[in-house]
Amino acid sequence: MLRSLPSWAITGLSAGVLLALWVGVTSGGLVRDLFLPGPLDLWDGLTELVQEGYKGRSLLEHMGMSLLRVGAGFLTGAAAGTLLGLGMGFAPRVDAAAAPFIEFLRPLPQLAYLVLLIVWLGIGETSKITMLFLAALPVAAVAARDGVRNVPPDRLRVARALGASEWQVLRHVVLPSALPEVLIGARLALGIVYGTLIASEIIAGSNGIGWMIMDAGRFLRSDYVFAGIAMIGLAGIAIDRILVLIERRVVHWAGR
Amino acid sequence: MVQLMVTSAASRPAAGIAVAAPPGPAPARQRRVPVSAFGVISVAAMVLGWWALSAGGAVPRDLLPSPGDVWAAASDILRNGYRGTTLWGNALSTLGRLGAGFGLAVLAGVPLGLWMGSSRVTAAALDWIIQFMRPLPPLSYMILLILWLGTGNLSKSALLFLTAFPIVVAASAAGVRGVNKQRLQVALAMGASPFQLFRHVVLPSAAPMVLTGLQVALAAAFSTVVSAELLAATDGLGWMVISASSFLRNDVIVLCILLLGGLGVTLAWMMRVLDRRLVHWRGRD
Repeated sequence: MLRSLPSWAITGLSAGVLLALWVGVTSGGLVRDLFLPGPLDLWDGLTELVQEGYKGRSLLEHMGMSLLRVGAGFLTGAAAGTLLGLGMGFAPRVDAAAAPFIEFLRPLPQLAYLVLLIVWLGIGETSKITMLFLAALPVAAVAARDGVRNVPPDRLRVARALGASEWQVLRHVVLPSALPEVLIGARLALGIVYGTLIASEIIAGSNGIGWMIMDAGRFLRSDYVFAGIAMIGLAGIAIDRILVLIERRVVHWAGR
Repeated sequence: MVQLMVTSAASRPAAGIAVAAPPGPAPARQRRVPVSAFGVISVAAMVLGWWALSAGGAVPRDLLPSPGDVWAAASDILRNGYRGTTLWGNALSTLGRLGAGFGLAVLAGVPLGLWMGSSRVTAAALDWIIQFMRPLPPLSYMILLILWLGTGNLSKSALLFLTAFPIVVAASAAGVRGVNKQRLQVALAMGASPFQLFRHVVLPSAAPMVLTGLQVALAAAFSTVVSAELLAATDGLGWMVISASSFLRNDVIVLCILLLGGLGVTLAWMMRVLDRRLVHWRGRD
């Protein structure tokens, strides 16, 4: 029977079943609203958050602070990482010198060095943004390096055979070929930076959307926690979409 | 890259080289300092700079412990333990949580992903949940998991499971969807049963993508396990970091960071080896 339905109907059906389960479980009193608030409680919590804010700051302010940190850490880290990665792609010596640090930094859990950065730079913005910088840097560097390495050698040979200078080869052959991978790396880095920031606000924050859900959790306001998680998820999807749009605009030649 | 360099050196007219040096000695000088030496030199410079900064007294010792301090902390902790725990015990409990959460995610996520990839109905029913979970930072629902499951190992393993699961499912489903349609049609035309089709066509074609998903998922879970231990734990390397920070033991923090970095590199390397072993046909389509 299900096979004859279009996909969107099946998706709607499955969402409906989940919603019915949610309503049934919460309104039937099976689960205390402390553990799982019902849809109406959640809606009330969300409107309360939007209208009154949380602890002296509006919801938009908390969100804005988080996004500003993400922006600052991501832009500096991705820019520095891309430059480093392009250098690593061009010059084997730069690659050899920088690779040990990049390979070490990449799988290192970011929150572990946040503790050290807080000791050095204080609990304020500097330590968080430095951590985000260090989170974005290796991801962007590896993507840019691989982008340069994967430039088809034939294209380089043709350009040089046609008499292009090294600068022209760089500008008109290497960069356009590497750019799609650079932007994929940027998207990956942005996702990591966002997740890392939320985690750091939860562990050591005094404002921002991550801190808000942690603080609400401490006061057992699970409606605020759920609403905050939904906001974090939606904002994450939104910034990823924005980057995809930029990607399509800038590298319309990708895959061709 | 070596090839790129060779072509650039070969195709560039002699003018550039002739101005800098006679063509003869130039390659000889390159050979004298092999490229890999630059890695050793830069790491050595880093350690030397670290040592000079900390031991030279430019930076207070309690802010930046010297390499010697970290070494001393390592041998002390190896001999006497750290606050009633051992270094290996802490590393093992971190790895145990990681293994439990990631292992469960693989056991549940790969079959579900393969199923979602082959069945339109399953994909339509479940994909929206996976797509919503994937961009959520795991620590954000850690608070709920603590509320539901307590602060023990159960909530942490559940967190790691939920971190790795959507990545594994999405990669496995994408792997099946990417199977070459012609191959399926050929196998069907030659009379393959559904099981044979799955075993001999779908699985081998999807495996590289599945393995890539596992690598990404393990890296994400590793990062998350340490964050979770920072937030709420009584052992593990993440707990050691946060505990050392409250006693201002920066030497222990640096030691743990070095260990975590080494562990991360080792895990990534192990996944790459597994990848090469299991899907040796990767990239040869």
